[in-house]
Order: sequence, then structure tokens, then C-alpha cells
Amino acid sequence: MVSSLALLLAQSAEEQLKELQDKVALDSSILLEQFYFYTVVVMWLIHVGFMAYEAGAARRKNIMSTAMKNILTIAVVTPTFYYFGWYIYGCFEEGWPKSGHASPDAFEGYCGLTAPWSAGLGPNLADHASLVFFLAFLLFSWTTGSIMSGALIERVRLSAYLILTALLGSFVWIMDAAWGWSYGGWLTTRFGFHDSIASLVVHGVAGAFTLGVLLNLGPRIGKYDIKGRARSFRGHNTHMTLMGLMLIFTGFYGFYAACLLITSTSFPGWLNIYGSPTTLGTIAMVITVGFAGGFTGGWFASKGDPFWTLSGGLAGVISVSAGADMYHPMLAYLLSISGAFLAVWTGTYIEKKLRIDDAVGAVAVHGVCGFYGVFLVGIFAGGYPTGINNIPVSFGGQLMGMLAFLPLAFLPGYGAAWVLKKLNLLRVPPEVELEGLDLAEFGQDFYPEFERAPEVIVMPDGQAVEAAPVLLDAYWQTTAGSRS
Amino acid sequence: MFNSFPYDEWGDSVAEFWTFFGGDKILWDQASLGTWIILALGFVAMLVSLVWFVKLENGKLESQAARLRATGALDRPPETVSITPTG
Repeated sequence: MVSSLALLLAQSAEEQLKELQDKVALDSSILLEQFYFYTVVVMWLIHVGFMAYEAGAARRKNIMSTAMKNILTIAVVTPTFYYFGWYIYGCFEEGWPKSGHASPDAFEGYCGLTAPWSAGLGPNLADHASLVFFLAFLLFSWTTGSIMSGALIERVRLSAYLILTALLGSFVWIMDAAWGWSYGGWLTTRFGFHDSIASLVVHGVAGAFTLGVLLNLGPRIGKYDIKGRARSFRGHNTHMTLMGLMLIFTGFYGFYAACLLITSTSFPGWLNIYGSPTTLGTIAMVITVGFAGGFTGGWFASKGDPFWTLSGGLAGVISVSAGADMYHPMLAYLLSISGAFLAVWTGTYIEKKLRIDDAVGAVAVHGVCGFYGVFLVGIFAGGYPTGINNIPVSFGGQLMGMLAFLPLAFLPGYGAAWVLKKLNLLRVPPEVELEGLDLAEFGQDFYPEFERAPEVIVMPDGQAVEAAPVLLDAYWQTTAGSRS
Repeated sequence: MFNSFPYDEWGDSVAEFWTFFGGDKILWDQASLGTWIILALGFVAMLVSLVWFVKLENGKLESQAARLRATGALDRPPETVSITPTG
């Protein structure tokens, strides 16, 4: 009798415990859902920022065509990422889905959940994680497109950009992410590749892809004189550009936060993308100090140039993002200063020596500093255990990631731009470029109540002159072959 | 009592209404016809929009370029370039 009563009480306690555990687990998953929802909201600011940043850097005649690229990035990358991008992330972690939809080994069945027809991607009251994860990655995809966007302004066709950004955002970067930015990725599980807040996977890859596009696109008419010396165009509103950068910086906090994972009933604390422990405070500290170091380095490297000072902040953060989950703040400070110097120097080199017209320095800031970031992890964080296999970080592992991602990013960008160029769909006609894209695309000037001042161009010797005769001369040189 | 709220049943109904059903339909051959129709239409819309972006813009750009060439506004000899400092 007593033993039966004890058994009943035990069963009752067990049921209560189970019920309590289920409720806590549900709360935990809803907390995760809320967390990612708000990171997505904050990350929208990145795209507001890119739009303002690039529109401010454009001349008055190209404002809306520049801004529209950022807006339509969302229209194009969202469906292509739904159909292809998320599936690539879920299924290609091991290089290819070797066990079909049961892949990958590290997270059995995850591949199937990322298929466009899966229950993970539709209304599903039992799944609080899949859709918010999808959205966070989608926002990263938009970011890769926006990184490329600024470099191409004032001469690329909007439609060509949209095709290229769909390729970059829904195929290229996400393949890189599957390989080296997931806890089942082959670079992670075999080589301990460590890029926790996506220095290379997002920024470096977008920069390398952009370089491939720029080589086909060519410079804006009048950018270089007949001797190959660089002229500078004056953006129509530097203040708007700087405000855009500040908005990007704000959105970056959401980006950083979205790179971590918290489900308190499964893990004791925050995890990075590889499943290694860290804290939200650690990465928040590194990004903040990274901005401080980046602004400092950008200011001194550019001798006080406003554009490069703020771009230096971005470069500084990108340089420390790969190791943001484990760097000491003062190490991040020093490294971010060096990253900003690197961005200013390489940006100048790319413009003046390589004669590649990157309108906003995206290849230097995102591309070079993205690769630099994972390089630094190999030097300063060697031995740190990464991922579920606890593979120590090594310089060789970091190098393996760089060697895998450089061709994977550069070649599709170069190839797709080359095809568009051959089809005469990459660049606007020179007459339209000279007149300004806004009149051709939208039929209007977007500052109708402001008097139009003559466009100014800065010559290689630093002298600011009226742009029209210089551009007309360059136009004639550009079109001489086609008219003779 | 909140415990009597038929959440699981309602959850299944919602998921079934949208044809994905409850979280266990993962493999392609298990998805319903409705799922395929929605996905196919969305895919077609995505492709059509990409092509349309190209065609629409190409028409605008080419006609504007032709108009500019026809006006002769850019037809100036290249040898008379003058540069005016703006200070």
C-alpha cells in the first residue's frame, strides 16, 4: 500500500517535472525567436545606411539610380535566397549533400529542413527557429549585395547589378558560409577555420566578387586621364554618406548579435556560429573598440579625410570580426587600427596604381580587410578550440579558408560580369552615363527645387575644375572606336 | 484552464492548411500538390521579374541614348577642351 502510494507520487512528480521542462523549453525557443527577430529589425539599418552612404557618394545626376539598387536588392535576393540560398547553406556544409536530406553529419536532417518545400519554411506552430534563422541569413545576403553595390555606382546597369547581386547573395557567399561558417562545415570540422563574425565569409567574399565585376565594368568616364592618373568625383552630399555609415555601424550591432546562438535549455550559454562558447558582451566590446580603433587609424592614415575616417571604422571592425568572440578588447583596438591603415593604403593603391575605379573603396575596406581578419586570427588566436570537434585554430587552417574562398568568390563575379559585358547588358550607354542615370531611368532630377550648380571634378594635381569639358573629352575618347 | 487550449491540434490545422503540415514533411516526394503549385508560381514570378528588370531598363537606356545622340548635344570636337578653375 505504502509502496504503491510512493510509486504514484513519484510518477506524479515525474510528470510535473516533465511538464515543467517542456514549458521551460518552449519559453527558451520563443526567447530565441524573439532575439533573432530583433536582430533582423536592427540589421535593416545596415541597408538604410548603405542606401544613404552610396546615394551621398553619387553625383546629383545619379542619386536615385544609386539608391534604387539598394532597395531592389531586397526584391531580388529575397526570393532567390528562398529558393536556392538557404538550401545551399543547409545541404552543402560537407562540400555537397553526401547523405541527401539527412545531411550533414553534425546536424542530422538539417539539409531537409532548408528545402523550399519543407515545413521549416512555412507557417509552423511547432518550429520557432527555422524562419528567424532564415531571415537573419537573408539579411546577411542583402549585406553582401550592398557591399558590392557601392563600388559599381554611376555606370552599372541596375538590372545587371540585380543579376549579380542575386548570384552573390543567393549562391556564392552562402556556399562559403556553408563551408566555413557553420558548425558542420568541412573547413570548420576538419581545419578549425575560425571566422566567427564573418570577416571573410561576408565581407571578404563580397569584396573579391566585386573585384571580379569591376575588372569587367571599367572606370567611370573621366575617372582617369590619358596618362592613367586618377581624378576624383565629388559626391553630391558627404554628410549623407557619413550618416549612412553611422547607420551601417548601428546595424552592425544587430549583425554581430545575429552571429550568436542562445537556447538555454540546450546549452549553458551563448555560442558562436561554430557551437563554441562565448558571450554577447565579448563581441559587443570588440565591435565597439573596433570602431574606436578604426576611426583612429582611418583618421591618421588618410590625414583627416572624413570619408576615409569613417570607412576606417568599418575596416577596423571587419578586421577584428573573425576573432571577435575571443579577442581581448585592447588587442582588438590595436588590430582595428592596423586594419584601417591597411584599408586606406590599399584603397589608394587600387585606385591610383591598379586603376580600378571602386567608387566607395569596397574592395579595400571589405575585401582586403575581410581576408586580413581571418589572417589575424591565425596569428593571434592559434590553438583556440573551434567548433564541435574542438579543432584548434591554426594559421594553416585559416590559410585553407582563404585559399578556398578567394577563387570561389572572385571567379563567379568575374565570369558573370564578363557574360553580361559580352551581351552589352553590364554598363549603361556612355551618353546616358554622361547625362546622368536618373534622367534615363526615372525621367527627373531628384532635387527639383535646388539650383543646379556646375559639376566639379578634382584633377590629379588636386585642382577642382568644372567637369563638363573634361567628361566630354573623356566621352569622345571612350566612343572614338565605335564612331570611326 | 490554459492547459485545455488545443494548441497542438490547432497547430496541425494551421500547418495543414498551408500544405506543409506539422513539421514532418521534408522530402520532396512528401510535399502536397498545393505546396508544389505555390512554389512553382513563386519561382516563375522570380524568373519573370529578373528578365523584366533587364528588358524594361534596356528599353529606357537605349531610347535615351538614341535621343541624346540625335540631339547632337554631345557632338563636339574633342580638340577644343577648356578647363575652368572653380577656385
